[in-house]
Amino acid sequence: MQIGHKTPKNPNIPHDSAIGHVSGTSVYIDDMPPAHNEVFVEIVPSPVAFGRIRSIDTSKALAVPGFVGAYTYRDLHHNKFGPITQDEILMAEDTVYFIGQAVVVVAAESRSAALAARRAVVLDIEELDPCLTVAEAIRRDQYLDRTYAIKRGDVEAAFAEADHIIEGHFSIAGADHFYLESQACIVYPQEYDQIVIHSSTQNPSEIQHVAAHLLGLNLNQVVVITKRMGGGFGGKECQSTHPAVMAAMVALKTRRPARLIYNKDDDMQWTGKRHPFENDYKVSFTDAGVITALQARLYADGGAYNDLSTAVVGRALTHIDNAYFLPNADVVGKIARTNFPPNTAFRGFGGPQGIITIENICEEIAAYLGMDAYDVRRANLYGVDERNTTHYGQLVANNTLPELFDTLLESSQYRERRATIDGFNQSSLTHLRGMAMTAVKFGISFTNKALNQANALVNIYLDGTIQVSTGATEMGQGVNTNIKMLVAEEFGIDYDKVIVMATSTEKNNNTSATAASAATDLNGSAAVNASRKLKERIAEVVAQHFASTETGMGAYPDRIVFADGYIYDSRKPSRRITFAEAVNLSYRERVSLGERGHYATSGIGFDWSLGQGAPFLYYTNGCAVSEVEIDRFTGDMRVLRTDILMDIGQSINPGLNRGQIVGAFVQGMGWLTTEDLRYTRNGALLTHSPTTYKIPNIYDLPATFICNTIQNDNKVNVRGTKAVGEPPLVLGISVWAAVKNALSYVSGESIPTLNTPACNEEILSRLTYYKRLLERQDNNNHAFNEGFYHDEASVLLPRARSHAAGRAVRSNLSGKRARSKSGKADKGVTA
Amino acid sequence: MGHRDFVHFYVNGKEHRVGGAAVFQTLSDYLRQDLYLCGTKVVCAEGDCGACSVLVLDRQRSQAPVTGSGSAYKAVNACIQYLYQIDGAHIVTVEGLKAQNAINAVQSAMVDQNGAQCGYCTPGFITTMCALAQDMQAGVSACGSKDKYKDKTTCIKDALTGNLCRCTGYEAIIQAGLAIDLDTFQPVADLYDLASIDESLQSTRQQSVSIQAAQRLVFVPADLDSALGFLAGQPGARIVSGGTDVSVNINKRGLLPDVILSTCLLSKNDATLTAITLDTASNTVIIGALTSLKNVEAFFAEHVPEFARVLWVFGSPQIRNAGTLAGNIANGSPIGDSLPFLFVAGATIDVASQARGRRSVAIDAFYKGYKQLDLAPDELIVGIRVPLTQEILRLYKVSRRQHLDISGFTAAFALSLEPTAMGAVPVIKKLRVALGGVAATVLRMRQIEDRAVGMTHDATTWAILGEMARSAIDPLSDVRGARDYRLTLARNIFDKFYLETSETGTAPREPICK
Ligand SMILES: Cc1cc2nc3c(=O)[nH]c(=O)nc-3n(C[C@H](O)[C@H](O)[C@H](O)COP(=O)(O)OP(=O)(O)OC[C@H]3O[C@@H](n4cnc5c(N)ncnc54)[C@H](O)[C@@H]3O)c2cc1C
Ligand code: FES
Ligand code: FES
Repeated sequence: MQIGHKTPKNPNIPHDSAIGHVSGTSVYIDDMPPAHNEVFVEIVPSPVAFGRIRSIDTSKALAVPGFVGAYTYRDLHHNKFGPITQDEILMAEDTVYFIGQAVVVVAAESRSAALAARRAVVLDIEELDPCLTVAEAIRRDQYLDRTYAIKRGDVEAAFAEADHIIEGHFSIAGADHFYLESQACIVYPQEYDQIVIHSSTQNPSEIQHVAAHLLGLNLNQVVVITKRMGGGFGGKECQSTHPAVMAAMVALKTRRPARLIYNKDDDMQWTGKRHPFENDYKVSFTDAGVITALQARLYADGGAYNDLSTAVVGRALTHIDNAYFLPNADVVGKIARTNFPPNTAFRGFGGPQGIITIENICEEIAAYLGMDAYDVRRANLYGVDERNTTHYGQLVANNTLPELFDTLLESSQYRERRATIDGFNQSSLTHLRGMAMTAVKFGISFTNKALNQANALVNIYLDGTIQVSTGATEMGQGVNTNIKMLVAEEFGIDYDKVIVMATSTEKNNNTSATAASAATDLNGSAAVNASRKLKERIAEVVAQHFASTETGMGAYPDRIVFADGYIYDSRKPSRRITFAEAVNLSYRERVSLGERGHYATSGIGFDWSLGQGAPFLYYTNGCAVSEVEIDRFTGDMRVLRTDILMDIGQSINPGLNRGQIVGAFVQGMGWLTTEDLRYTRNGALLTHSPTTYKIPNIYDLPATFICNTIQNDNKVNVRGTKAVGEPPLVLGISVWAAVKNALSYVSGESIPTLNTPACNEEILSRLTYYKRLLERQDNNNHAFNEGFYHDEASVLLPRARSHAAGRAVRSNLSGKRARSKSGKADKGVTA
Repeated sequence: MGHRDFVHFYVNGKEHRVGGAAVFQTLSDYLRQDLYLCGTKVVCAEGDCGACSVLVLDRQRSQAPVTGSGSAYKAVNACIQYLYQIDGAHIVTVEGLKAQNAINAVQSAMVDQNGAQCGYCTPGFITTMCALAQDMQAGVSACGSKDKYKDKTTCIKDALTGNLCRCTGYEAIIQAGLAIDLDTFQPVADLYDLASIDESLQSTRQQSVSIQAAQRLVFVPADLDSALGFLAGQPGARIVSGGTDVSVNINKRGLLPDVILSTCLLSKNDATLTAITLDTASNTVIIGALTSLKNVEAFFAEHVPEFARVLWVFGSPQIRNAGTLAGNIANGSPIGDSLPFLFVAGATIDVASQARGRRSVAIDAFYKGYKQLDLAPDELIVGIRVPLTQEILRLYKVSRRQHLDISGFTAAFALSLEPTAMGAVPVIKKLRVALGGVAATVLRMRQIEDRAVGMTHDATTWAILGEMARSAIDPLSDVRGARDYRLTLARNIFDKFYLETSETGTAPREPICK
């Protein structure tokens, strides 16, 4: 039965917390008033990246006024957990594996006492030789989980016949989430060892599971509640678990509410980041720039434990094609085990690291062939009727990429601007410009099939207002607003009649993380399913109510319409009752006015043993053109203009979606430009606060910024929408690629190389290198091809040296293949 | 007059008198933990994110009460304002902005334009934008100079460089700024009975504050004599002006001064310490030590725009509202952004003590080594004098991010050329160069200056001078830049300077708001 409803007027309603946010009344964890007997919790972290604990001395902490307790792993029931493989130790036992790993937890009567107690604990740790680079992990042969691979066709055969081959190595830096609200939780002990955990988390069920497991409770003894987060971006998918479990342990031990709030410096030092990758690649292509084969070996820096690395690498492997057809592919991913905090989910989840690899390759092919990189990309774009299956065998259905490319080429005046840039670079002695268009084709669905389900609870009250509860968590993205709108639209009532409640494992059980951009898809669908069941029941009652022997109108629930706050029979719209009246009628008829909805994405699946399948329900597509200007003397870079064009299907709330697109783009740009994670040689993060870790500032927004979407109905998803949270982040790559393009104007015969992030220091290092290269033209020009960090006296960990890996040189443009000197990509790994 | 044992201030129109150990806490902690005004967020606790921004009304004794629009309230970072820094102030937090219980025009613009996503940065943006709206109503640009900003968008960006947002990418916030209905916006000053607040604060203002608690002593002098008298008895007391350096060191670097002298009341009571005047006879600018960097910026926007340009990228509006030039000088960092200019301009520092009265020190004699100053423990900086010249001046700051970032490298050039016949290549008459971020102190490059005299102003000359600079310095590697990077910058900045100041130069200066 399909009961009609009408969509209300303006869908651009504000975020459901907007008024609270601007008034300062929205409540975040640390804004919750302290309970009168609350204790404050602090963590004593490992100060070394790898070491053996000789002794722990808490005696001085005991003497701190207000000290309540000190706890170690011995106070836990179990100590091992992990979302994919259960390899993670919550609190160090005899060995510490990363800086920031919890060794002792202290509790005290006040914040300052807890801090004093933390500082008073003395750890005696014998330092061991840590593994702090992917290269070192490879040398030591230490990996997390197994090797993952996707293969199609025969790359060796393609290489043998290739017109051209480029191979190289590409270092991709990590990034900090820099959610403004650092990890935070408060735990309230209840009767019979039950606990209620309030956490700033994207994943209440995960906390419930890990807390129960590590504290020896049943799942039904643990309730996790999330009202909202002050930002998450993936950083609170798994890593909000650690503070929550430690605070819960204290709450159970002390029988007092326990509050644990990280400060920004601790948070940045202790929590995992976006995975850095070290990628080797080898690509063959025709004279026209068409890729014939790609071989790639991706090494993610997983940190000390797996966390979500398996899935992150999986997504890198399924996104290395991005928008481009790979007739032959052989891509393998491994996770290096190092002594950093476990790297974790971060908006895009490995997708960006896969995608930038091929976008970099497109720039290199263009530089090598002397083509415009746009033409290389266009020549390789997935087709609508042919060349439209991915290397893992999924059909690229409803492919809007060609339309996006062609439209943006025109609307951004790409060709005209290219000519202007060519002229500018010829004449300007002081500045250099570059421009690039890059794409995104982002697969939507969790790659772990079981996670693609959700449940929702919809309760209707007698005044016609509704509460909705789902497993989705609100971190600013507007998922609650979307769900509220979907439900209100189902019942044809005003948006303000619906409230989406705090997320709680008490109302929604066994939920998935709010992640993979799929929260609205999954939870919204479940809420719509629940609403439809309720509508059916109400329609039955109302149909009976309208049925009348006098007029000869029978009771046909199918004819009942919910619109504009009223309910009527479509045959006689003038005789209508309000939604609230209908609810009351139903109540009197003893009809249930609460319902659970469930949703499971159909038709998806992937088999890693084959590296084949259709893991995604659909793709969110887009492209962006960015133009940058570089100061030739300082390497300072600014983005002059960015044009974004996306296909996000039918928007529920276009205003909120635009915010997702712009915010994600800027975040992606920050990752690749100013956000520079720097470590000491001992693996300690130096850039652990905004003083030295520079996320984009208001002035870093492109001077001209144009952002549009195209019309497309995504029939496979709820209300024709597409997920939008992660995909636009990838478009930040256009800025990085534009810098690389700018360098191609000064790199002579070489294909320019560029690390990430392309901060001014990195850019100046490349400019200086090419300047000297052109000046000297000597044989021994690789001696200084290392960037600025070859300085042994430096206290810093040397940055990855992709520059030194060598590249194909544009030595022969007549069609002969060129080979890099190092041949590094061949060393490979075996699946 | 006896001393007070409490600091006296207002929050959202309510009076607060705080004494004892409680004054040794930050304003943000006081708001959040003592007053349960949790709208003010703390993210970084070091002035670098703006989430804790609150509005402060700090008034000179001579000023008439403020009403209506006028750049009255200024945004500052509550996380680096200790209570002993806010004596005599009226603080307004995000909770204190509603008019008749309805959100104001700034707040509704932010709602309508989706300027808030997760909302954690939002209160800080709201307070800062209310200061902006108040300034826009009064026709004052973010830098404080009268109505000279290029366009509204630039003005909005200038006002918000001190607020980080990780969610929105800022576009919606800029849109909100553009959408503020200035006709209905009620200035914050109109929401409170400022006359009676003023009267109440005036009543305690002539009294210095002295609070001893938890083995610590803080003194807030009401006048200069008390200040110098206190320093004579407590030499080495930690002077706190804007606190944008000291308070960060307390929060983050374990600094725990036993004895503190806070200048906040002094800056309200002694107009000479906050005045900026141009002495036309000597063509010298005289800057009161306690005037905010914001005022310095506004003044130099008229007289030496190149220096205002550096101040424009100095910290953020919040930092410049609180911070002082004296603090930047006394902080002694080799990457202090004002210093290269003060070096090439030949500035002098006026210091005072009870024992020896006043003396003046040339800026390049003031620094003796890393954070080693020619400043006795009983001395206070009272003024800075900057002679104005007609030379060609260029100042450079290189940092990871353009705004709200500490420099990795700085440079200043002051050049005069011999008058030459039309068409002839000019000859260098006089040059002064200072480089920052390349040694323990800012360096005057005297060898280069001497060498340059008489050379032709052409590319070859500047290449030679640049090479000299590169070989003369021995920088370190740190998070803000590797040694080689700094060496390369020192070399390149000479080429850049040449191209920007010669006929052949094609480098336009980036536009600024002024
Ligand atoms: C987020 C942030 C960004 C910043 N950005 C920049 C930047 O871009 N460029 C830059 O150069 N600096 C920057 N700073 C550093 C700081 O803001 C400046 O150095 C500022 O000028 C300090 O002034 P203040 O009045 O706040 O100093 P305070 O913190 O009050 O004092 C600094 C030092 O000077 C001493 N002192 C202060 N006043 C006097 C006096 N009258 N006589 C004698 N000694 C005195 C103090 O004892 C202390 O040692 C930044 C700081 C922060 C927190
Ligand atoms: S908390 Fe970041 S500026 Fe105050
Ligand atoms: S809205 Fe989340 S940080 Fe600005």
